Amino acid sequence: MTLRKIMGAALNLLLTLVLCWGLSLAVSAPANARSRNASLQMASLPEVISPATDAKLKVLAQALALVEEQYVEPKTPKDLIYGAIQGAVSTLDSHSSFMTPEEYRELQIETKGKFSGIGIEITLKDRTLTVVSPIEGTPAYRAGLQAGDQIVKINGAATKNMSLTEAVKSIRGPKGSKVTLTINRQGFPQPKDFAIVREIIPIRSVKARVVDGGIGYIRLANFQDQTDTDLQVYLKKMQQRLTPFKGLVLDLRNDPGGLLEQAVRVADEFLNSGLIVYTEGRTPNQSMRFYAHPGEKLGVPIPMVVLINEGSASASEIVAGALKDQKRAMIVGTKSFGKGSVQTIIPLEDGSALRLTTALYYTPNGITIQDKGIIPDEVVKEKEIPAGKSLQKVREESLSKHMRKEGLTDKPWTQPITGEELDQDPQLKRAVEMIRNWPPKKLAQQTK
Amino acid sequence: MPVIHQNRVSPACISRRGSRVKSFGAKTFQTSPGWFSYQIFSVFLALFLVASWTGLVAAAPAQDYESLRLITEAMHEISQKYVWKKGEEEIIYGSLRGLMNSLDPDSSFLTPKEYQQVLSGHKDQLAEAGVDLVYKDTLLTIVAALEGGPAWRAGLRPGDHILKINGHLVRNLTTQEANRRFQGKAGTTLDLQVLRNGLIKPLELKVTLEPLAPGGVTHKILKDSYAYIRMPAFTPETLAELAATLKQLQRQQPPLRGYILDLRNNARGSIDLAVRGASLFIGDKEVLTARGRPPEPSQVFQGRAKSEIFKPGQPLVVLVDGGTARASEALAGALRDQYRAVLLGSKTVGLCGLTKTLPLKDGSALVMTVAQCYTPNGQKIHGKGLEPEVAGKTPAVTTPGVTTPPKLSPEQDPWVTQALEILKTGKPRKVAEKAEKP
Repeated sequence: MTLRKIMGAALNLLLTLVLCWGLSLAVSAPANARSRNASLQMASLPEVISPATDAKLKVLAQALALVEEQYVEPKTPKDLIYGAIQGAVSTLDSHSSFMTPEEYRELQIETKGKFSGIGIEITLKDRTLTVVSPIEGTPAYRAGLQAGDQIVKINGAATKNMSLTEAVKSIRGPKGSKVTLTINRQGFPQPKDFAIVREIIPIRSVKARVVDGGIGYIRLANFQDQTDTDLQVYLKKMQQRLTPFKGLVLDLRNDPGGLLEQAVRVADEFLNSGLIVYTEGRTPNQSMRFYAHPGEKLGVPIPMVVLINEGSASASEIVAGALKDQKRAMIVGTKSFGKGSVQTIIPLEDGSALRLTTALYYTPNGITIQDKGIIPDEVVKEKEIPAGKSLQKVREESLSKHMRKEGLTDKPWTQPITGEELDQDPQLKRAVEMIRNWPPKKLAQQTK
Repeated sequence: MPVIHQNRVSPACISRRGSRVKSFGAKTFQTSPGWFSYQIFSVFLALFLVASWTGLVAAAPAQDYESLRLITEAMHEISQKYVWKKGEEEIIYGSLRGLMNSLDPDSSFLTPKEYQQVLSGHKDQLAEAGVDLVYKDTLLTIVAALEGGPAWRAGLRPGDHILKINGHLVRNLTTQEANRRFQGKAGTTLDLQVLRNGLIKPLELKVTLEPLAPGGVTHKILKDSYAYIRMPAFTPETLAELAATLKQLQRQQPPLRGYILDLRNNARGSIDLAVRGASLFIGDKEVLTARGRPPEPSQVFQGRAKSEIFKPGQPLVVLVDGGTARASEALAGALRDQYRAVLLGSKTVGLCGLTKTLPLKDGSALVMTVAQCYTPNGQKIHGKGLEPEVAGKTPAVTTPGVTTPPKLSPEQDPWVTQALEILKTGKPRKVAEKAEKP
């Protein structure tokens, strides 16, 4: 998990710096519907525990009591038990983890794709809490907050020495309640208060642009509850606006994944029939097969290219794998991350939860992605970051680019991607070329 | 065949190899009556606990039962649903490691095999990489690296995070166990994946374990008769070298005008060694107090009068940083609080505690911090660190490259320059002279 978090941070430049809740999501089956009863039953039924386990549990109980009695500082039983569960889970694979009740609530917000707040992306810039950008249509946007604004106080409390998480927490709050931000902006003679009423803010995981010549570009940042719905909206808009709708680039680069169910739905948008993915676990109910539904959702089966890189993981790999195996799309970019396991979120009695690897998934051709990743049909490398450039520097550049609205998806979706922007992005450039000269040789040969 | 006591008290700030269950035997310690009663009390407590565990859950308070229920639930879920079958012993030992690791870096867990090795004074691990690591919040971080040691030569530096060892992700460790991974037979190589702050891609470094050369104290007379002394670690050898160096420098003619003692990147050494080191400077004054959990008594550690070499009243600046831990922290705190030295640099690590090894019923054992160090003025070191009075100037931000920064000579070192400036202002002299007034 450490590596993944760190790698994720490195790859997901924008995501990590912009959203402190935008941690990489594992592919999770919908939160397990296990009933509260089941857990209570289990804990009070000693017969499910073998004598050996019982002896081992007694050792653990002895250790807990010794620490509680004799450790140099008093500790609450809860802290100790969380440490122990954390330890137990870290003997498993790196995608299994334990979440405290607080972390679990954060995850739920992430996967639901909406939260109650004011709609700003914030970051720490030069140790000052800074607005990256207000999200269009949100209370923050309407109140006139701007990219680059420094947040000096939140509800009168100074933000100096506040962590990003703390700041996010105090800005968020129940729908209808008010938060006052004291803003310092260039041109303000003194910091000014903005009182903003919180409302439900959708987290957008889908962004789009168009390329001249009837080509659509859709980028998925992750897979959460709203992803497929948002995707459909853009696809419909593109069908209306692009006549003819000649091709589509689906950008899954640095998309760390998300909900398995959403991956299946996204792939289903582009497939008429056949297997999308199947999972195999230790128990039969963890083994499932997911098929595409008939009915062309895109009107005509248009040429399609999927972009992937080392930051495309799990749900992204399911989509890329299905579209590749079914020969629906050409895959361009670099080898994907290689996370072929499914995690299930298992809530525990006290509001904490386990994220447990419960199954492995396979592409329609029966290929596991674990450690192997999806190999692109055509390998195109990303524009290289000059050696010696620090992560900090890359982040800052990417942030200031974003604040100046220069990122690929920071402009209105109807504004066509320019040739200059394509030159900055060799992978996207190749994808566009490929669609313009469809079908590519490789795909034509395969289909024969 | 020695009798194994239920509770043996051992200094946590100890050289990592072997002697973890060594009891306080050094003559330098004044074994106070308080300490003795502490041991009696512990044995009593242990007997009580053993007695109560025969009737496990019944004797435990209701809240404990609640907690146990949560972990039982978690383990049940793992055994039923995890994609691969997992041995229950591995999971339980994993949870014990997690439990101890959540306390502090000095607390750890020993499997029955590991505990047996500790008891038998197992010492075949003669070679090592020469690093001191801390495993915290799932990150394995280098606190200090011995200059010129195998890890240092391989390019590892304090602050680096180890992501993988021989291709395996670093997970479910305790600090002690992590450190053991960097010890072994001479010639063993470790392939490490290392994340360095500021670099985009992890570095791949290879370290070969070797027996470390003992000692390593160096010194240099700088311009205008100021002495710079570098102490890389606390071992019996370096202490002897430090004493010899101090003796030599004290005889210097004309007399030196001030001293700089460099304790940066120095995380190795027991409290015993810290006390012996402090004696060189402060004689029989208090070095530190180890305080247990109330109502446990405190124990005051004092130096030895006849060990004092460093004449009182001489200006001294001690350099500390985020790699200053254990013995060097205790020494820095004592020198500051006994009005001998001005500390310069950045905040120290905060690792200074006493641990006790507690066997569990299946032959495994807990190593647990039972007392923490406080400086003579009563400031807690363990878990807090020492904040130097003079902050070392942060170097101008340079783009970190793939190449590892070299060790600077004292003349090129900005903090040494800063220390010299302070010595020249006369502040350290006033501090040192103040110590002489009754």
